[in-house]
Order: sequence, then structure tokens, then C-alpha cells
Amino acid sequence: MNEIRSATSTPQLTLSLEEHRRLRKRYRRRTTLTAYAFLSPNLVVFVAFLLIPVVWLFVSTFRTKGVLGPAEFVGLDNWRDTFTSPLVQTSIRNTVVYSAMAIPAVFVIAMVLALALNAIPRGGAPTRVALYVPTLQPAVVAAFIFTFVLHPDFGVFNFALRGLGRDPINFLGDTSLALPTIAGIEVWRGTGFWTMMFLASLTALPNELYHAAELDGAGAIRRFVRMTLPLLRPTFYFAVIFATIVNLQLFDSVFALTDGGPVNSTITVSLYIYRSLFAFGDIGFGAALSFLLVITVLLLTGLQTFLLRERK
Amino acid sequence: MGITSKHNRYCGKGRFWQLLAVAFVCALIATACGNDSETGGTTDTTPDTTSTSSAEPDPTPALSGTIGFIKGPHSAMEAEFQEQIIADFKAQVAPDVNVNFSTYDWPVHVAELTTLFASGSPPDVQYLVDLIYPSFAEEGVLHDMTDLVNDPSWAQERSKISPFAWDLAEQQGGTWGVPVLGAVYNIFINETLLEEAGVLDSWDDSYASMLAAAKSLTTDEVYGFASRTSAADFAWWDWYPYIHNAGGDVLSQDWSECGLVGQDVVDAMQFLIDIHTAGVTPAIGSVDNQGLFDLFAAGRIAILHHETPNIVSLNENPPDFDWSVAAAPPGPQGNTVMGNFGILGIAEASDNKEAAWEFIKHWASAPQVGRFAEQVSLQVVRTDIINDLFADNEAMRKVQTELVPRVQGLQPHPQILEALQAAWPVVENAFRGNLTGEEAIAQMCAAIDGVLAG
Repeated sequence: MNEIRSATSTPQLTLSLEEHRRLRKRYRRRTTLTAYAFLSPNLVVFVAFLLIPVVWLFVSTFRTKGVLGPAEFVGLDNWRDTFTSPLVQTSIRNTVVYSAMAIPAVFVIAMVLALALNAIPRGGAPTRVALYVPTLQPAVVAAFIFTFVLHPDFGVFNFALRGLGRDPINFLGDTSLALPTIAGIEVWRGTGFWTMMFLASLTALPNELYHAAELDGAGAIRRFVRMTLPLLRPTFYFAVIFATIVNLQLFDSVFALTDGGPVNSTITVSLYIYRSLFAFGDIGFGAALSFLLVITVLLLTGLQTFLLRERK
Repeated sequence: MGITSKHNRYCGKGRFWQLLAVAFVCALIATACGNDSETGGTTDTTPDTTSTSSAEPDPTPALSGTIGFIKGPHSAMEAEFQEQIIADFKAQVAPDVNVNFSTYDWPVHVAELTTLFASGSPPDVQYLVDLIYPSFAEEGVLHDMTDLVNDPSWAQERSKISPFAWDLAEQQGGTWGVPVLGAVYNIFINETLLEEAGVLDSWDDSYASMLAAAKSLTTDEVYGFASRTSAADFAWWDWYPYIHNAGGDVLSQDWSECGLVGQDVVDAMQFLIDIHTAGVTPAIGSVDNQGLFDLFAAGRIAILHHETPNIVSLNENPPDFDWSVAAAPPGPQGNTVMGNFGILGIAEASDNKEAAWEFIKHWASAPQVGRFAEQVSLQVVRTDIINDLFADNEAMRKVQTELVPRVQGLQPHPQILEALQAAWPVVENAFRGNLTGEEAIAQMCAAIDGVLAG
């Protein structure tokens, strides 16, 4: 109060405490409004294209129909079907099995390649380009490429097998091989991306620590286990969560290569959601399944966050 | 002073926000007034138009405007063929009506059409197959054309379309389109190979003789028999005739439950399992729809279930062997052929149904549908032009005259596609030798009943 009065030289301009509070409140309100005004373009998009659809989708889980005709309230029927349908269980199992195959495989391969690229003194750039090219392939292109590689009749791989006197392998038509094959194709597509990600993190690690460790007699494996892996924890944290989210939503490769077959051995949650929503018009069931996927992703992300958190 | 100057500056900012708010409110008011006037205009105009038309009915109102027409492609030259029909329509029927033609992709056509209908502004006219239109009719997005097709002025044309085709278009108490085309699922045979094996005249006497022929035809380079096996290729078209020939169907007669009942149905299923596990086919799931036909065209499949549009391909690029078309052997309760049919329907949301109806009548007329059927090797459902079509196409004449009359189509239930997709993995599993015919039919019925139960 005294400071305020001392800051004002003329009695006419002196503000009472009440006036000051009012002006300060107005100032804060205007500042807040200004901030919201600048945020509003993004906020409008967020609300219009994410929040409202998500809320609408959640409401749809308690309804049937609603896209082409009027919606009907069905209570928890869609949720009950989601938990009791054998095909839902199959699609969840396939999705989890696929993720369990693809994520560790792509991380191990990418880490090995990143370590190798980090170590080689020359030729890194063309190798990096070559590694990254598969990542640039759309899933449909990758599907065509692997059709010509794996096809039992005219695929290059099976052609070679026949040349060696072996029987051709029906990779995508065999119920036990189709899902691992798709996982392999996705690993092929993803290796370049994760290699670059790990390589970027490796090059950012402080060399001094490694020199010191080397002088202390730590071998390459010990340095990798005791230094590299702990130092890459933030990268792994991002990688595991990102890869989990992406892989649990596997759709395009399955859609292009097997359409969920053979015998539903490659049907994934996303593909089943697509069928429910667009092929069968079962909006409520598809919405419930979508939410189940979102909840699963959130739970797994939370679990991973807990497991990968920094420990003091 | 500092506070005062800041206060003044804030007042300046405040002025800015006030002006902005006023401008925003003015814009809102202006927009609202604009909408009101537009709405009011529409509301005012509509009764005027109605009263005018009722007071002074125009017997031959000039058609005008633009209508959309969407169809799945039956040929790589689909757009060109449709442009011919549209050009004739403008020249002969409605010069002031423009028709915008577009295509949907068959593998995802249900999703595409659902999206279009959901948008509220779908194309006015749609070509819909009997597999999917019932679900759209149930949702109320198709216009019930009962009054249009029963218009006395069109009665003569209507009578020329086969009754069985009308049966497929008339469901749920309405008529959802004009039947125009059919696609018969025939068998292609490599006559050269069959003759060499000595089975050309006997392979289709019975299921047993077909299996025996397939075995005798199979070599390291040739598969004796092949049919589609995956749901993505709509493999059930090749499976249907054997079930129909056994007196069964996906749904019971009243469509209330699974219709795959009886020992004949089990036996038919067992035969299909036997032929797929006899080593006479490509590995199950290894070759897709087009791949199978390519293998046939290359002389590597002797007996192939497929579709008549491929006759065009064989005629344009004749293989180095003799070939012909046929149907599946007779079963204990019939000798049917599977086919599915397309209708031309009108969207309920269409605001130019008169022009849409005129276009459908034009499309379904003998010269137009006949020419298109010849161009793409599809079958017509008009009885008056059968003898005029395919004069230079022996295979298509055989299909049109011998196979089409034996067609038993599917049951146009709103959930027939879902039922087939739910049950088909069981068939795939059975074709791999993992189920007996009895087990397969039991599991299929469980899946179908599950779909019907909702």
C-alpha cells in the first residue's frame, strides 16, 4: 500500500486499494483472455475434431446404429458383447501377440544397427539412407513387395527354397505363420526409423564418460550394459510407449495382406473395429471396441511409465 | 504515473477487445439474419411451388439439374462405357440433366457407401448388389421405389425383367431398385487338359467324378481344381452352389435361424473339404482372386470356379488351349448356379428423384443395359434381349442361356454379409482339413445364429 502510494506522485492518480485490486483483476482477466485467444485456433480444432468425436463415440457405446438411421439406447449391451465375443478375444490376443513379437524384435535389431553405425568411421550416410528407405514405404507398397517375395507360387523366397529342393512355405496362408510374417514385415518397415532414433541418442551421449570407463578397464559389453543402456533410458521410455501405441493399432498391413485371415489368425482390434463400423454398420459395438483399445493403450502406457520411471 | 499510464494502455487494449467483441456480435447477428432469411425464403417458396404445381400441373415437366451416379467398376473402361449411356440419356431423354458418374471400390464398397449415405448427400443413383442393399434399405437411406416401378406407363418394361430378379429387389415391404445386371459364378474348364485326361465328358457328372477328374488332372505343373477360399475374395460365391444343390442355405426359409441343415448339406460340405485336402488345389490361402484366374489363363489350373467378366479377358487374350464355361455338378437336391445381382436404386436424400428415375429407366432399357452387358460380360435380367446378346461370344451365350435360368441367388437379409463373414473362417479352417463336414456346419450355424441374435 505504501509502495503504491510512493509510486504515485500526484494525488489525482493515487489508486485506492479497492481500485488497485479491481484493475489487477481486470489485467489478469485480459491476460488470460489474450492467452486463450492465441490458443483458440488449436483449441477449436482440438474440440471439434477430437474432444467432441471422442465424447460422441463414448455416448455411442451405449447405443446401436446412429450413423445412417436413428440411434437406439441399448445400455451396456455393447460393452457386454465386447467382453464376451470370441472374435474380440481373438483380435485382442492377436494384437498383443503381434506387439510382443514386433516391438522387442525391432528394438533389438535397431539397437544393434545403431551401435554398428555409431562405430563405423566411414560409409555411415549411405547405410543410414538404405536403412531408412523401408520406413518410407507405405504399407500397401510393402505388402506388394512381400507378396512377390513370399508368395508360395512365384515368390522369390519360395523360388529359392524350391531351388534348394525344399517345399515352398505358405507364409501368409498358414494360420500359424501369417501373424509372425506380418510382424516381420512391420519390423522391416520400422527398423530404419528406430535405428535413426537410437543412433541420434547414441551420438548425443558424452564421450568423456566412455573414455573414462575405458581407462578404468570396462569392456565394450560392460560399457553398453552399465552406461549406454541407463543413459538411453529417456529414449527407451519414449520408444516403448510410442511403439506400443502404434503397434496396438496395427491395421494397414493386415488389411492389405490378409484381411484378417486365414481363419481370423491375423485379425487385429483395429481391423475388427473397422469391420464393425464400416462393413456391418454396428456403430455401438465398434465404439465400445474402440474405447477398449484406448483404455488398453492407456493402461499399458501407465504400466510402462511406472516400470521405466527414474529411480532414485 | 506508472499505474496511470498502464491503466491508459489497458484502456486502449480494452477498447480493442470491445471493438472486436462488437464486431463479432455484429457478424453473428448478420449471419443469423442471413440464415433466417434463407430459411424463410425456402419455407416461403416451397408452399408456393407446391400450390403452383397443384394449381397448374405440368404433364411433362422439363427435367433439369445434376444427378450423381455411383457404381462399382465391372471393367477397366467402366467410365467410358458409362459416358456412352449418359450421352445417350442427354441426347434422347433429358438434355438438361447432367449426370456425374463416379465409382466405388468393390473391396471397400460397403464402407464407401456407408460414408456417402452418412454424409447426407449421397449420389442420387446407386448401383447396389443384393449382398449389401438390404442393410441400407433397413436403415432408411434408400428410396422405396414401389410406386415408381408400378407406374402403368412403365408396366411393359417392368414385365420384361425376370420375376426372380424382382424378388431379389423387393424386400422388407418395399422395392429398392430396378434389377439390371447379374454376375454368374461359373466354372472355367481347360478343355485341352480335360480331353487329354479323358474326362472332358464326365468330369461334371457328379461330385465324385469332379474329384476324380481333379486328381487325374493334377501334376507338378497343374492344379486339377481351384476355387476361392478367403472372405476377402468373397469365396462364398463358389461355395454356395454345392449348398444350394443340397437343399440348404445360409438362413432358414423364414430367415430366423441358420439354414444349413440336413445330411445332404453336411455331405456337400464334406465333399468341399475333401477336394481341398486332396492335394489338387493351390495351397489354401496362397493365391488370391486374380492370381487364380491368372494361373488358369496360364494353363496351370484345369477346373476353376470364377466369374464371367473374365471371359472378356480370355477372348481378348486367347490362351494356347481350348476353354469353356460350365456349372458345378448336380447335387442331391438341385443343379443350381450361384449369381448375385445388381439393382439401380435412388437415395432417399436425393433432391432430384424424378431425374434419377428417368436415368434409371434409361439405364435399364434394352439398348443400354444390353450394350453394357456385352461390353463387360455380365448377364442381363431382361428376358427380351437374351437372344440378341453375345452373338459372337459363345461362352457368354452359354452363360446367359444355360446358366442364368438355373440361378439361385442369396437371401437378401440385412445381415447376410455379416453372417457370411462370421461363418467363413470356419470354412477356411475346414478346407485346411481341421474340421469334418459335420463339425464345420455346426460351427457355421453357431456363428450365423450368433449374428442373427444380434
